[in-house]
This record gives sequence, structure tokens and C-alpha cells, in this order.
Amino acid sequence: MKVKKMEAEVVDAELVLPNYLSFKRIQMYDKYPKGQSRGRHWKHLKQIIQAENYQNYPPDEPNYVNIESPPSMHPCKRICDITGYEAPYYDPKTNLRYANTDVFKMIRSLPNESVQRYLGMRNAAVVLK
Amino acid sequence: MPFISKIQRQFDYNRFSSTTPIVIDNGASYFRIGWAGESEPRVVFRNIVQRPRHKATGETVTIVGDHDPALLKYFDCTRSGPRSAFESDVVFQFEIMEYILDFAFDRMGATGSGIDHPILITECVCNPVQSRSKMAELLFETYGVPSIAFGVDAAFSYKYNQQRSVCDKDGLAMCPGFATTHVIPFVDGEPIYKGSCRTNIGGFHVTDYFQRLLSLKYPYHMARFTWEKVEDLKMEHCYVAQDYVSEARLFLKGAKEAEEKTKMWQLPWVPPPVEEPPSEEEIARKAAIREKQGQRLREMAEAKRSSKINELENELRGLEFLLNQLGHVQESDVRSFLAETGYVSRQEVESARSKVVQSLRKQKGEQTEIEKPDAASNEKYTLINIPDDMLTAEQLVEKRKQLSIKSMSDGRQRLKQKRYEEELERERKQQLEEERRLENPELYLEQLRAKYKDLSEKIDQRKRLKTNGGSSTNGNGNSLTGSVGRGERLSAAQRERMRLLTTAAFDRGKGEDTFGAKDEDWQLYKLMSKDNDDDDDEPDEDNTELARISSRLQDLDPTFVPKVESSSQPAEAPRIRPLTKEDFQIVFGVERFRCPEILFSPNWIGVDQVGLDEMAGVSMRRLSCKDEKLEQRMTNSILVTGGSSLFPGIIERLEAGIRMIRPCGSPIKIVRALDPVMDAWRGASAYASAPGFHTQTFTRMDYYEKGEDWLRSYQLKYSL
Repeated sequence: MKVKKMEAEVVDAELVLPNYLSFKRIQMYDKYPKGQSRGRHWKHLKQIIQAENYQNYPPDEPNYVNIESPPSMHPCKRICDITGYEAPYYDPKTNLRYANTDVFKMIRSLPNESVQRYLGMRNAAVVLK
Repeated sequence: MPFISKIQRQFDYNRFSSTTPIVIDNGASYFRIGWAGESEPRVVFRNIVQRPRHKATGETVTIVGDHDPALLKYFDCTRSGPRSAFESDVVFQFEIMEYILDFAFDRMGATGSGIDHPILITECVCNPVQSRSKMAELLFETYGVPSIAFGVDAAFSYKYNQQRSVCDKDGLAMCPGFATTHVIPFVDGEPIYKGSCRTNIGGFHVTDYFQRLLSLKYPYHMARFTWEKVEDLKMEHCYVAQDYVSEARLFLKGAKEAEEKTKMWQLPWVPPPVEEPPSEEEIARKAAIREKQGQRLREMAEAKRSSKINELENELRGLEFLLNQLGHVQESDVRSFLAETGYVSRQEVESARSKVVQSLRKQKGEQTEIEKPDAASNEKYTLINIPDDMLTAEQLVEKRKQLSIKSMSDGRQRLKQKRYEEELERERKQQLEEERRLENPELYLEQLRAKYKDLSEKIDQRKRLKTNGGSSTNGNGNSLTGSVGRGERLSAAQRERMRLLTTAAFDRGKGEDTFGAKDEDWQLYKLMSKDNDDDDDEPDEDNTELARISSRLQDLDPTFVPKVESSSQPAEAPRIRPLTKEDFQIVFGVERFRCPEILFSPNWIGVDQVGLDEMAGVSMRRLSCKDEKLEQRMTNSILVTGGSSLFPGIIERLEAGIRMIRPCGSPIKIVRALDPVMDAWRGASAYASAPGFHTQTFTRMDYYEKGEDWLRSYQLKYSL
């Protein structure tokens, strides 16, 4: 039986990470054996932060959470969701901000999907759960 | 200028003694690894892992970093995209991290068993201890490294530039990176994390925003805007505006500067082959062919006609000959004489002859003779008035025949009479109307118009009902049934039929079956039958009436315009515009500075945190040193580093922004790092090669003895 092999150029470029690496004490296939369900052996950042129990430490000690920036004190610049110009107006129907009548005409002709994508850019889209 | 990966395998690994540290800048976008003391990292690649399936062998393989996209055609990448070990600058997926480290050490040329070099690896500011300990564990357990040091990339960059007198020992390091932006104050050459702040926005978000904007602006070319391409476009075109609002106004007005600032990306576009209008010759040739074909058809029809005429004439001649012969034969011998011709009587032959004559005339295009006058017909019915008992059996049959013929012709006569009377009636009505019109033309017209309107509405409504069910008309009882779906597609009659069929199908076994007891029951079948669809005659009447009124109105009222049937002609399909070169141009106007602007206004993408310029103020406030002089020294040495600080104009913009939040007249000096991308690694390399480096590392023994709490407070001293 002919054993299928990788293409020569793929081998030449050493594109694929070898399974065995001599400098490793534990190989990948030992750590994560094939065929076994890996499950989720990692935590999301949120879980990591929760596990850190930052509330048990003095608040003036810097940590990942308390060095985060506060909300801005400056008045928010509002820009047109479509064109990026200054947006003095707001369309209550689509929730989009717009710069002038031309843009308004355009947003009223937009399908809802695009509207949601525009809103999604500033994290204001309607999310159905 | 896109960042360039270096993934060539190194072969001098064994030349380095085991005391030479390996320096890793583990950035969220790029991974850089090299030897301490060197000025350039040896291996640089995008910090991502893909696990596609090799098409030929079906194996799932691991590919680290970015490679020649041409080679990826052998792999099925649809199942898994590129994955990163990072979430907001924190390593959280150590399986991916391990693949990356495997690849990195492999490319560094590592052989032997274990990595016998101290490691200096970067991490984010205030990395959660879990991530730090997992990283330490991985390096100790899997690779067997003797010792590790963790440092912050921005700090290394600052120190590197400080050593080259770009900035002072007191200052601010502002580092807009890939996933986050950090500001770290430095006092006496040491970073003060207490005063640092982080906004979760960076180059990733800029590219993402750019990509989304482009694909919304050019939905047809969405597939073109791959992550890599948009990243390149961002680096090529984006810049930071000095003042966003006024810059945007320039574009809104379409000013000349705006036009100059608008950039364009021409997608590959091949003009479609131009269809040449057919030449005169071609047209003539086609016309000739058409003419020829028409001629042939005409000739064929002519030939057919003449042969038919010929045939008929022959037949006629034969029949006439037969009649002629019959003239000479005795009455009693007729039957035997005709026996072989297939005819029975003289009359039959005659009728056959007249038929032939008629069809011959028709063929020749002559007018068929109009019905013969009835005057002489009465004598045909010779036997009618004679009582039955005076006739023979043969004559009785003949009499019955005559009777039926007579009744038929009488009926015809009566119909004619009726038509004539109707005509008279109509004329009389017209007369009457005319009189009324003359009496009061205005009123008459008004009435006529009202009537027209009524009728046309009635007809319209019926049509709607027929085609559209009851959805749009609420005059009828069953208007509520289904305005969507199936109900809409059926006419009222069809729906009624469906209802009848279903009730008939499902109402078995319910009580006593009395169907058929009354005669009306059987009407049901008539209603159910399909022919029922063809409408009753009433609408026809309405239609004729409508036509009459409308023609009358047209005669009398010059302003009257008969309603045209709207649905008769389906709207012409929109003509497809041929695609032009312009359709394949991606124009960058406002987007060029709108995308990087999110570094200054994170709330544009829904991140409610301060922007880059305000971060400097936040950082100083957090430091709360209450030392005017120190603050002045710090603002006089602001270093901007990190990949996203490459946007042109960012320094000037920052200066303007920070000037606003600082007291009037304070000295402000903002500089960009010598190489915002590479300086972190270079600083780390220089740091690791310093003689005091080993005092800052910790070994596996340290790690296990001192425990996590110690690791939490572990911090490098950057000034050695």
C-alpha cells in the first residue's frame, strides 16, 4: 500500500510542527493523548481573574483589574455611524447616528442586517439571547 | 510597511554556552525570540496557531505562525481558523502557547534534551499570577529551562530608549499595543505599576474596525478584506488626525486637501470584452436569410393550397359527373346505381357537392355564401301540416325530420328577432341618455363618472379577491383568513373549495350521515369541482358596462383618462449595469483617520474607557506624587512605543491632547521610540546580557519553595 505523504514543498518549508521534539521533557502526544476528549483544560480570562481573589489584597497594590482605565471624563464625540462625519442627529427608528439628510435617506433604506452591523461596531446592536 | 516574519531555521544553537539567556518577546501579535546580547531577534513570527487537516493524508497537523499562503492550499483550513493564546494580553491557552514555544525553540535550532538556557520572557503589566505560574510551569516542566525572568515589554522598550538618551529616567511610557494600550510612569528609571493604567484597545481593534467598515462600505468585495490585507492597508494608509472633527469637515465639504488625502486601492479588474455592433454586411446577410426562409414558407403554403384546390376540383368534377349520370337513370334504379359510390340518394350526392363547392370557395378565398333566404324554405316542409294518420311510415319519418329542421330555423329566427329588439332598446336608451345629457350636461357627466368609479372599483375588488384572497379587501366576510402564506396565494373561490374538500374529508363518522337527503346537497360537488373557477357571467356584464361608460366618457369628457391596467405589464427588469473599473476601486477617505481615532475615543467601539491622551492624565493622577517638579520632568519625557504608535501624526495629536489636561505652560515633550516594534526585544536582550541578570531570575527550586504568593509579588528591577 502506498503511504500518502506530504507534498515536497510543504516538507521543505517545514511548515508542519513535528510531533516529536528532542528538547521537550514531555511530548505533546503524552500530555494530550490522541483520542481522549480534551475537555476544557484552560480558563477564560474572566475565570482567571476571578480565581485571583484580588479583593483579598490591599487596594493600593496594583493588579490586573485595578490598573484598568476609568471611563472618560471628556464629552463623547458623536460621529455618524456610516460616514464618520460629525453626527448631530440620531434616528430613533434604527438607533443610528447620522450626519445629514443624505445619510438619513441612506440609513432608512438599509436592510436591518446592515443596521445591526453598523450598531455592532460600537457594541450597540440588539443581541438576542 | 507590514511586519516581516523571520522563520528560517538557525543552525548555531550549540555555539552558545548554557549561560547565554534566550530572550522572548511574547507579544499578542508577534513572537520574537533570540539570543541575549544580540541586536536582532533570530526568529519572528505571528503569535498564532492553526490546526488544519492535511488534504492528502487526512491528518490534523499543527502550523505555527504565518507562512506562505500558497502552501496552505494543501490544507483544509475551514474547520479551524488561526488561534491565539492571548486574551487581552494575558496568556490563557497554554496548549497553544506550547505549540508556539515548540516551534520557536525548534527554529532556534534547539537539539539535545531540554533547553539549557535561562529564559527572559515578556508579559503584560500585572499579569495574573495564574498565567505567570502556568508559564513558569510550562517552561520548567516541559522544556527543562534552568531559570526564568519575567519582564514587561513596554518597560524594556523605555529602558532601551533611556539608555540611548531618547527619554529620561523620569517619564511616561505610552504603549499602544495589539490588544491593549498601557501607560506606565517611570520614576528613577523604574516603572511604577501603581500609576499605570490599561485601556483594552489596540491595533487589533483598529484593524477590526477598519475591516468592518470596509466590508459594510463595499459588500461586494467583502471576501477581499482578509485580516492580513486589512492589516497591511491599515499600516499603509491610516493616520491620526490632529483634530478629528475639523478633519472630517474637510472631507464633508469635499475640500481640495481632502481629495488629496483620499487614497484608493484598485482591485484587479479586467475589462469585459466589448461587444462590437454588427456590421452592415452582417445585418444585410441576416435579413437576406430571413427573407429567403420566409419565401420558402410562403411557397410551401401556396403549394399546399393549390394541391388542395386541385383535389377539391377533381372531387367536384366527379360528383357533377355522377349527378349528370343520375339524370339519365330511372328513379327506381338510383339505389342500385349508387351502390358502389357509397351514396344512398340523389340528395346526398347533391349535399356532398354543395359542401365541396363551399370548401373550394373557402380555399380560393372567396366569400362563403351567406345563409340562403328563408322565403322558399316553407315549401320544404311539405308534410308538416298533414295529419299523421294520412302518411305512410316513410313519410312519417320524413315529417319528423322536417319538424325538427323547422323548429331549429324558427329558433334562429326568434333569436334574430330578439337581437333586433335589443338593438332597438339600446338605441332607445342611448336616445334617452342623450336627452338627459342635453338637459343637464354637467349633472350627467357627474353621474357618469360616479358610475364609472363605482364599477371599476367593483371590478378591481373582485379581481383582487380572485387573485389575492381576502387579504387586501376587508369588505368580504372572510377577509381575516391568512394574509400570509398559503392563504395569500389562493383566490377566494379556491380557498372555499379547499375548505369544502377538507370538511368533506374529515367529517366522516360524526353523527348521522344525512348527506344527499336534500337535493341541494349535491350542489356541493359542483362547488368543489375545478371548473367552478371560471367566473360567472356577472363580471362580464360589468366589464362591458364599464367599457361602454368609459368610451362614452372619452367621447364627452376631454379630461377623462381611462384607468390603465397596472398589472398588465410586469415592470421591466432593471438593466444590469456593466461593471466598470470604478466598481473595483476601494476608496479610503474618512476611514484613514477614523479607524486609528478609536485609540483616542474607545467608546466609538463600545469600550467605555479613557483614550490614549487622557491615559497620561489618569496615570499621573494615580501616581499622586504631589511633586510638581517630578510631574514636569515626567511630561517632559514621554515615550511612545508599541506597534500602534506607528500611525503618522500620533505624536502631534498626543501632544495637543496632553497639553489640554496639563497646567498651562508645563513642559511637554513626546517622542516616539527608536523602533516602536523592536525596541522591547532589544531592551530585553540588552537587559539579559547585563552581568546582573542572573540576580533577577528564579529557578525551578525557587519556584516550588517560595510558592505562588512569592511569584505574585515577583518583579524585575530594571536598573541593574
